[in-house]
Amino acid sequence: MSIAADQTQSWLDQHPGAPLAGAGASWLDSARANALALFERIGLPGVRDEQWRYTNLRALKSKLYQPAANSQSDWSLPESDHPRFVLVDGVYNAGLSNLEGVAKGVQFMPLDDAVADSRFDLETRFGSTLPAQQHGFSALNTAYCQGGYVLMLGAGATSKSPLEVLFLNSATDSTADASAISHTRNFIIADANSQCTVIERHQGTDGSVYLHNTITEIIAGDNAHIDHYKIQQDSCDAFHIGGVFIEQARSAQVKTHNLALGGLVARNDVRASLSGEGAHIEMNGLVFGRGRQHVDNHTEVVHAVPHCTSDEYYRSVLDDQSRSVFRGRIIVAQDAQQTNAEQQNNNLLLSAGAEADTKPQLEIYADDVQCSHGATVGQLDPKSLFYLNSRGIDTESARALLTFAFANEVIERIAIESVRDEMTQLIAGALLDGMEELL
Amino acid sequence: MLSVKNLHASVFDTPILKGLNLEVNAGEVHAIMGPNGSGKSTLANVVAGRPGYEITEGTVEYQGKDIREMDASERAGEGVFLAFQYPVEIPGVSNMAMLKAAINSLRKYRGEGEMPAAEFLQLIKEKAALVEMKQELLKRSVNEGFSGGEKKRNEILQMAMLEPTLALLDETDSGLDIDALKIVSKGVNALRSPERAMVLVTHYQRLLDYIVPDYVHVLSDGKIVKSGDKSLALELEEKGYSWIEQELQQAS
Ligand SMILES: Nc1ncnc2c1ncn2[C@@H]1O[C@H](COP(=O)(O)OP(=O)(O)OP(=O)(O)O)[C@@H](O)[C@H]1O
Ligand SMILES: [Mg+2]
Repeated sequence: MSIAADQTQSWLDQHPGAPLAGAGASWLDSARANALALFERIGLPGVRDEQWRYTNLRALKSKLYQPAANSQSDWSLPESDHPRFVLVDGVYNAGLSNLEGVAKGVQFMPLDDAVADSRFDLETRFGSTLPAQQHGFSALNTAYCQGGYVLMLGAGATSKSPLEVLFLNSATDSTADASAISHTRNFIIADANSQCTVIERHQGTDGSVYLHNTITEIIAGDNAHIDHYKIQQDSCDAFHIGGVFIEQARSAQVKTHNLALGGLVARNDVRASLSGEGAHIEMNGLVFGRGRQHVDNHTEVVHAVPHCTSDEYYRSVLDDQSRSVFRGRIIVAQDAQQTNAEQQNNNLLLSAGAEADTKPQLEIYADDVQCSHGATVGQLDPKSLFYLNSRGIDTESARALLTFAFANEVIERIAIESVRDEMTQLIAGALLDGMEELL
Repeated sequence: MLSVKNLHASVFDTPILKGLNLEVNAGEVHAIMGPNGSGKSTLANVVAGRPGYEITEGTVEYQGKDIREMDASERAGEGVFLAFQYPVEIPGVSNMAMLKAAINSLRKYRGEGEMPAAEFLQLIKEKAALVEMKQELLKRSVNEGFSGGEKKRNEILQMAMLEPTLALLDETDSGLDIDALKIVSKGVNALRSPERAMVLVTHYQRLLDYIVPDYVHVLSDGKIVKSGDKSLALELEEKGYSWIEQELQQAS
């Protein structure tokens, strides 16, 4: 026990001097104090925790961290005609951001500003979507969050143009004693009948070692429509711990797309609580693992009331020694009659060293429900390979085509054409030079 | 063009072909008939290079080259094409994408550059018209949700696009209605030339009215037991395979 306690202390010692968002707001100060106390009690999760059984954090824990230095200044960002919110190492960067052109009734601002303005009532919302049983990273996030974006949509507000958020991580110095750590906390608060699309991009330079711990809380009011994309392209040596926590009121329609391409160890908790009748959640996920990457997706859908629907579709493509973990928990409460819940998790192993662990977990307490789930772990179909080979397509290209086809089932669920094209290019290009031109 | 000598082959360790001989010259069309399970598809797959179909004895030469060690894509590069008895559905890969990949792979194998996009589109339009295939089917995933007849027509479309030197057609006529049969035959006949050869596996002499073969062979228990001209097909239709088996028994 003392080892764990020491480790917990050492984690706390690694944060002095970290800039804190919204410092001075007393409610937040006390939330942070509570979170620290919680962290001191529970520490970081370990493989003995049921929810972390397949995800070994030894590499993450073996590093020393210090608050990210915000060291890189030479960012060259692609052109974008969307409003863009940029954080560098967890801190809002006004110079790189462009918050012009947001629609009427929409406010897009740094966490600091939202905390400072009592009209936004972040006090009651902060942490409201988190599950009762938090893990240590969530506690750390509350205790130390340095920045984040807050998107507020008034009743009926519609943001036609997608809102983009870039989480940039500075290139790290491989000779430094400590790796960079940053914690970000974000909010999408959509009032009744509002509508928006948010694209979060998580990026870092390959070879950089850092830990980014990020939580996005989504609060969807009556009949709000929210599309949330998370394109995670962190450095393949970095650690990404993410949470997307959603609370949905009556008829709220939310789609999440969790596209996990980067990171050495990436963990995502995606949780939706359907607490208004007629709410619908779609959870899509794609893991594209190579090298020694490890991606762990934990999803949870809570059907708390009748007449809600959920549709979950996660796929992973795993090459080399990469590994994916999927847990899909669906809880249907006793009076959540007429629930319709679907879940699919399909895994494609491209090499003998790759591994997928998949665990659907249905807890159904109502009797009038339709729930279906399926999980598969497989390899490329030899019949299809031969068919393509017999048309002259060499084995490498044939494998790439079939692999792309598998991943494309998720890509096709992306509603925004530009993002769909981008993912197509990314995946196709990574599988085979020049394959984009075939598609 | 194709010279198969004393071929013994096993499918996943089960011996299927047991000393098969077949000589096909450029310009010829050969029909292979024979009872279910006699090894017709096995022969076609062995020549096309299907993994798991192992040659245990004998030789297969194509255009004077020993092709036994070549993989399926290399044999395709050399000009071999197999129209499948059961075409494979490939969800997520469009017909167009597959054909583009196939054409460019074949060109690469032969040391040629990629086909320009406009030329490809023109070619596919022309060939789709030849087999009366709707444009909409070209954009769909390979064979996914295609009717039996559409799948067979798709095989012929692919053949027409890839212009093989040796085409092996495994029961391309099975399951076709009379109109589709005519369309498929038109596609096949369009490709007939003095430089090319075809091997048709079929159960029905009806096909041979449209694609007239130079030779007809009967395959039984892994061997070719009788060969003749197109009148052999008519005789078989009339008398069935038992007639040949009896004949063989009498001879021995
Ligand atoms: N994958 C396999 N494993 C084991 N045996 C197989 C396999 N594929 C085919 N066979 C066997 O090989 C034999 C020959 O099959 P083949 O498909 O070549 O016959 P065919 O002459 O084409 O028959 P049909 O007219 O029904 O198409 C059959 O007995 C079949 O069961
Ligand atoms: Mg057959």
